[in-house]
Amino acid sequence: MSAPLKREVYLLSRVGLVDSHTLPVYRANGGYQALEKVLTGGYTPAQVIQIVKDSGLRGRGGAGFSAGLKWSFMPDPAKDPRPRYLAVNADESEPGTCKDRVLMERDPHGLIEGILIACFAMRVKTAYVYVRGEYRLSHDRVRDAIAEARQAGLVGQKILGTDFCCDIWMHKGAGAYICGEETGLMESLEGKRGHPRPKPPFPAGFGLWGQPTTVNNVETLANVPFVIARGADWFKSLGTPKSPGNVLIGISGHVERPGVYELPLGISARTVLEECAGGVWKGRQLKAWIPGGSSTGLLPASKIDVALDHDSIREAGSMLGTVAMIMLDETACTVRAMQVIARFYDHESCGQCSQCREGTEWLHQIFARIERGLGRMQDIELLSALAGGMAPAKTICALADAAAIPTHAIVRHFRAELEEHVRLGRCPLGASSHAPELEEAHA
Amino acid sequence: MTKIVLNGREVEADPKKPLIAACHEHASHVPMYCYHPGLSPVGSCRICQVEVKQGEMPPRVVVACRTPVAEGMIVDTEAPKAHEARRQCLEFLLKNHPLDCPICDKAGECDLQDYAFAEGQGEGRSVEPRRKLEKRKSLGDVIVLDQERCILCSRCVRFFEEVTEKPQLTVAGLGARSTIETFGDRPLAGNYQGNVADICPVGALTLKPFRFQARVWNLSKAPSTCGECSRGCSITIEVLRKQDVKRLRPRPNPAVNRFWMCDHGRFSFPRFNRPGRLGGALRRGARGLEPVAREAALDELAERLRLDPAALVVASPWLTQEEGALLKALAPAPLLVTPPPSPLKDALLHTGDPCPNRRGLTELGFTALEAGEVVARLASAATALLVGERVAELLGAEALGGLSGALRLALLDTHVLDVPALELALGVPDSSERTGTWLNVDGHAGNLAHARPAPAGVAPLTRTLQELARRASGALAR
Repeated sequence: MSAPLKREVYLLSRVGLVDSHTLPVYRANGGYQALEKVLTGGYTPAQVIQIVKDSGLRGRGGAGFSAGLKWSFMPDPAKDPRPRYLAVNADESEPGTCKDRVLMERDPHGLIEGILIACFAMRVKTAYVYVRGEYRLSHDRVRDAIAEARQAGLVGQKILGTDFCCDIWMHKGAGAYICGEETGLMESLEGKRGHPRPKPPFPAGFGLWGQPTTVNNVETLANVPFVIARGADWFKSLGTPKSPGNVLIGISGHVERPGVYELPLGISARTVLEECAGGVWKGRQLKAWIPGGSSTGLLPASKIDVALDHDSIREAGSMLGTVAMIMLDETACTVRAMQVIARFYDHESCGQCSQCREGTEWLHQIFARIERGLGRMQDIELLSALAGGMAPAKTICALADAAAIPTHAIVRHFRAELEEHVRLGRCPLGASSHAPELEEAHA
Repeated sequence: MTKIVLNGREVEADPKKPLIAACHEHASHVPMYCYHPGLSPVGSCRICQVEVKQGEMPPRVVVACRTPVAEGMIVDTEAPKAHEARRQCLEFLLKNHPLDCPICDKAGECDLQDYAFAEGQGEGRSVEPRRKLEKRKSLGDVIVLDQERCILCSRCVRFFEEVTEKPQLTVAGLGARSTIETFGDRPLAGNYQGNVADICPVGALTLKPFRFQARVWNLSKAPSTCGECSRGCSITIEVLRKQDVKRLRPRPNPAVNRFWMCDHGRFSFPRFNRPGRLGGALRRGARGLEPVAREAALDELAERLRLDPAALVVASPWLTQEEGALLKALAPAPLLVTPPPSPLKDALLHTGDPCPNRRGLTELGFTALEAGEVVARLASAATALLVGERVAELLGAEALGGLSGALRLALLDTHVLDVPALELALGVPDSSERTGTWLNVDGHAGNLAHARPAPAGVAPLTRTLQELARRASGALAR
């Protein structure tokens, strides 16, 4: 192992303060200084994009794409004078993920400042914050913060007395997972069903209402003011060279202290589990864990020492995703866990693509059958074959991949448990871990 | 045009169309369900996957309906990876498909059946229960929806959105629980509903008038032209066992009707099957209209025309150019009886003019008149000849019945109308039984096909007119 990672908290530095969601507290703690620096410090939009590019900030919505590079895809307004938009993806709906919510509820001005800087950099005058419908407090806090900021001349016309104008609008989702996919989100924002669009065309050329659009995650934007205020080099001093900066890690499941923790990318999963979450609960052993939300695939306990950065996790056979770790202790049935995951994707597939519409349902049916003790040995091969027919990149969006990846993972890492279910004709861990009402609810 | 390499051949592709169009144009079979050349591509069924190599990038499997063509693109529709991807996609599509082909009207012309037969695996791998949905949901007067057969390609949804521009259908529900529904469960409306049954790639949307009427492989099909308005949509006439016309369907014609036809035209086919066709010739005798030899009837008709040079000749607007020209040669000032304009006129196809060959016949010198005006002239004529299918019907039984017995009336029509003035009647073929040309409202020629045999004793009208002309000229010579 290389030198220990530098620890420094910035994203969550204000969330513990009383009234952290209000403008006075935000301002008293360094808020809006990055915006002021950008607007009055003689920066050009291109320079701001360059700083973000240099910082190596990668999107925190799951895909891990370079934020600065994404911004630079927006066409030059001199050549393309169409209106342009920023859509803020606050539809956080990947099971296990609950990080954006903390930022929106406790530090909404941090998000707003990030939005304003992003809009300056991309010369956007209108931003939309698409909040998932269930996040009522998040919605209200961001809405109120926008109103506060508008009152203070930070949102709207002539921001901070400069020529920069930018308005931010709120939009409430209606609870569909698929509306967190960037093109599904745009369709939903337009008032249509959240059906993802085929790409190309890409959002930077043909996004909201057919205009150039960038979609950024809340946490990505919340990083931006710090990158600007403290510089790209400071940002790169945190995390790993390829995955710099801190990340909000949500840890849930069978742990003593579930929650959202801020740690540098590249931290080992064991550190998060033991140091932050207080280890596996009730003194039990870890059996399996999911590193980045339900779509990233179960890993066995043996991989708990892996570093939480994009490349290391990929090597370990999973994905960093939204770094929403879900821990399962020794009493948990991974087949049952997978059944729950498969049910989720079955429920949330938009139904456009044949493989996803039929495949998510089929996977769910097979996992449910195996868990009920009605599995056949050939079902295990069938699971792999079906997941292979759904992904990678065989459908309009990545929802089919999100169902296929954990399917591949369970067959790869927990095949013995699947086989035991089939052999015994029942769940070896007994029905105690089951919640039959859930099955009935979906039947 | 863009040059691409398609299955090892360099071909030209239209850059405005997706890759799948180029594949089809150059006879490379790529299956399709959601793609339809007359609708916008959505790339959702994923069956049209082909392998594409562009530049230095490794080959990728992409959906051909959403891939633009690019110069130098190397396309392999038969690559093993493309086949595998399509086969996998097909397995998902068939997972919940009811496989009720034996009782499905689409069987025999079903894209899903054809491709499953060509490429699918012999045995399904699913042991899960198939989805149970509404199997015969009425969507109005024309269409029945079988939700179990539906593969959610959304062609029907896009048809109403993009072609009629009046959205009526939508995909309701999410994921595997999606179904095609009308808005608010209202029945479908409008004059173009039938098209969704044509474009449905499976047997989910069927035509009420065609349900359980025929197995499609027993239908013989002839390319023809619709005669219900002056648009003259290109159609296929489908005949069961050389007898009844069972179905009319649009035939693609970019210059006239693209891929569509209206329900008024589509469901006009029962007219072809009306009983009581006039077979040979009839002549009024002591006991009313009595059968008479065709030759004798022609002789008498020629004689009448010769005796009365002012004989009134009235043509049906269903006459072809060929028939019209012969008739014009026989009678220098023929009239054309025209029905009143139709209220079905719209901006899409229906012209509101029920005469399929008005343009052609008026160009030949026929004088178009409404039925009432023609009847007024008949009342003062001594001899009259009514020519062509539906001519008696257009003039009206009542009006013709009121004509005095002094008029010597002859009728060449598909059905006989027994009015006192009628002396001679001769059967003619209807427009499913003869060849010829109509000129549509824009001057496009639409060809009629011989889709089925005419009833016994009925000769083509062109031949009848030629025989009359020969007799008339012979009489003059004599």
